Amino acid sequence: MWDFIVGHYNYWMYIGLMMIGFYAMMAKRNLIKKIIGMNIFQSAIIFFFISTSVKKGVTVPILEHGHEGHGSHAIDVMQYANPLPHVLMLTAIVVMVATLGVALSVAIMIYRKYGTLEEDEVLGNMRKD
Amino acid sequence: MIEQIPILIVIIPLISSFLCPLIGLWRKEACHGWIVFSLSLSVLASIHTLLSIIQNGTVRYHLGNWNPPWGIECVIDHFGAFMVVIISTMSLFAAVYGKKTIEKELPGKTIYFYTIFLLLVTALLGIAVTGDVFNLYVFLEIASLAGYALIAVGKDRAPVASFRYIVMGTIGACFYLIGLGYLYIVTGSLNMEDLRILLPPLYANRVVQTAFVFMFVGFGIKIALFPLHTWQPDAYTYAPSATSVIISTAMAKTSVYALIRIIFSVFTLNFVTGFVAVFDVICWISAIAMIFGSVYAITQNNLKKMLAYSSIANVGYIMLGVGLSASTSLGLTPALMHILNHALMKGCMFMIACAFIHKAGLWDIRDFVGLGRRMPYTCFAFILAALAMIGMPPSVGFITKWYLILAALEAGQYIFVAVILFSTLLMIVYFWRVIEIMYIRAGEGEGNEIKVEEVPGSMLIPGLILAVLCFLVGIAWISGLLSPILEAVNSGFGLGVVS
Amino acid sequence: MKALSLIVAIVIGAALIYGTLDMPMWGDPHSPASSHVSPYYLRHSLEQTATPNVVTSVLADYRGYDTLGETTVIFTAGMACILLLRRARKK
Repeated sequence: MWDFIVGHYNYWMYIGLMMIGFYAMMAKRNLIKKIIGMNIFQSAIIFFFISTSVKKGVTVPILEHGHEGHGSHAIDVMQYANPLPHVLMLTAIVVMVATLGVALSVAIMIYRKYGTLEEDEVLGNMRKD
Repeated sequence: MIEQIPILIVIIPLISSFLCPLIGLWRKEACHGWIVFSLSLSVLASIHTLLSIIQNGTVRYHLGNWNPPWGIECVIDHFGAFMVVIISTMSLFAAVYGKKTIEKELPGKTIYFYTIFLLLVTALLGIAVTGDVFNLYVFLEIASLAGYALIAVGKDRAPVASFRYIVMGTIGACFYLIGLGYLYIVTGSLNMEDLRILLPPLYANRVVQTAFVFMFVGFGIKIALFPLHTWQPDAYTYAPSATSVIISTAMAKTSVYALIRIIFSVFTLNFVTGFVAVFDVICWISAIAMIFGSVYAITQNNLKKMLAYSSIANVGYIMLGVGLSASTSLGLTPALMHILNHALMKGCMFMIACAFIHKAGLWDIRDFVGLGRRMPYTCFAFILAALAMIGMPPSVGFITKWYLILAALEAGQYIFVAVILFSTLLMIVYFWRVIEIMYIRAGEGEGNEIKVEEVPGSMLIPGLILAVLCFLVGIAWISGLLSPILEAVNSGFGLGVVS
Repeated sequence: MKALSLIVAIVIGAALIYGTLDMPMWGDPHSPASSHVSPYYLRHSLEQTATPNVVTSVLADYRGYDTLGETTVIFTAGMACILLLRRARKK
């Protein structure tokens, strides 16, 4: 029971963080708070993935003795962290930043047009159009 | 060169989009010619691909010559080639149509609009040819970002509609990413073919079941399936004209393709039928979407919003086809047919609706009095497309409804036959209302008639071609011209055999 | 609205946690994720790509297509920002 919790609590922590971001996206009225919620949600997913690449007592996936000739040392896979989630998450971070940029641009457009960033005021101004 | 075609389909629009701003800075008017040229090359490449796949079978292309699952591969089978042809042809039509409207709606920004348009087409083609689940996520995000930008430059409420789409679209893409993360944690692979082989021993695993649910909900948001459709009406209505045409035809259908690919190629049929009655849930949700979309369309006075709600109903038709696919010998045939048919019909109708707005600023149906005489060709195309949607034989709409009713009868679900007929009745109501105002009420209210003339040729000809294709393609379906594709898809997914 | 969002968030969180119950333990060196595809990258990265940094070799060589997609994402976002924010010049 205790082992089970120790072996899984990282997943649960990041799921909790994801749900905080998700709640912010859905429930907050201010557009910037929604965008921040979106950022928290996507960051939590990135942490979730990265946490699966770790093994007990490993080092970064950069092979030592890299330039000392090929094949002179057998590579012990258990010594290095799993590189694939790192690669996937580099791309996911870039996607997150790009989405943040476009969302902020749209928020600037809304501000220029309606003069406010609160969702209910924007809807009210929209109805007057 | 010819054996590199699978990747050239994606690279041609990509490189054209990189060159588009440079050409635009050199000479602004050359941009439109450039995108029509590159999209024509895409259409040629896609038709060549479809013909060679019908002859030789599935094409697998290993990028960088690394074998999967260690490298990424492109897999084009019959379904993928079918989608590639639809995407490239509909985007060529949208590009030719869009010239006059974009110049009027977005002066000074046309170069960047065309660049993002090409990037959207690149991304959709990339989704259709990929064989790797993470690669699908990357291209899905490119398509989404391009879509957010293309919608936000419309009129009135477009930025607010686009913001709502950003929030919901990001949630959808992130749910898909969570799903693929769960699959990676229990299998260690990201290749679709490899996952298909590795997953069967793990079907009872809770991780795999949760991954399926999250991937399904993520794509459900993207295709605007019933409870998750709230972003769609405003986004389709207030987007610029060329955007409305391409997102309602190419982007929506590509998301359906991705969902079908995940359900049938990664989680095979055995998982879905053995799992908690997923197909029944899909059928019921689609039935509600069909009724709900049509009822809301009747209450609308804005033509584009009416077409947007009609799109929600038609996505219900496609998903009903998917839901019934395991219980009939027709397999995925109705769903595949409606993907092509709806793209033709809805593309034509959005072109005409935006033509009315471009020429005379007419958003509201009640203002269409007497248009039948002023814009005869445009209204004729509208009548053809409306008849196709209602389902007059031998149009494409009739073919879809016929096959859907056959599938529902064979599966023994008579309630869905009633739902299909009832929603057709509702469609007749709302399309007839428009046609009546355009043609018949010309006599009354002489003073209300608008002074307009016919739309320019570059906007009229794509609309007329699509309207005529609605009937020609129907004849093609009946004559069995395209049935090699359907049979190959059904046998590839293991459908078409009723146990 | 806030109460509904809270309920939806809790339901989705519960579904996600239900999904994690069968996952391998944190830090397990024999988990499927660490034993199927990744050892190949670690063992052969040096001889096939001459790069000791395995993350670089996977990102730029084995999965270079994803990196092309990522670059396109940045380009799309840049073009989108120009399209959305550019003001018409006052004549």
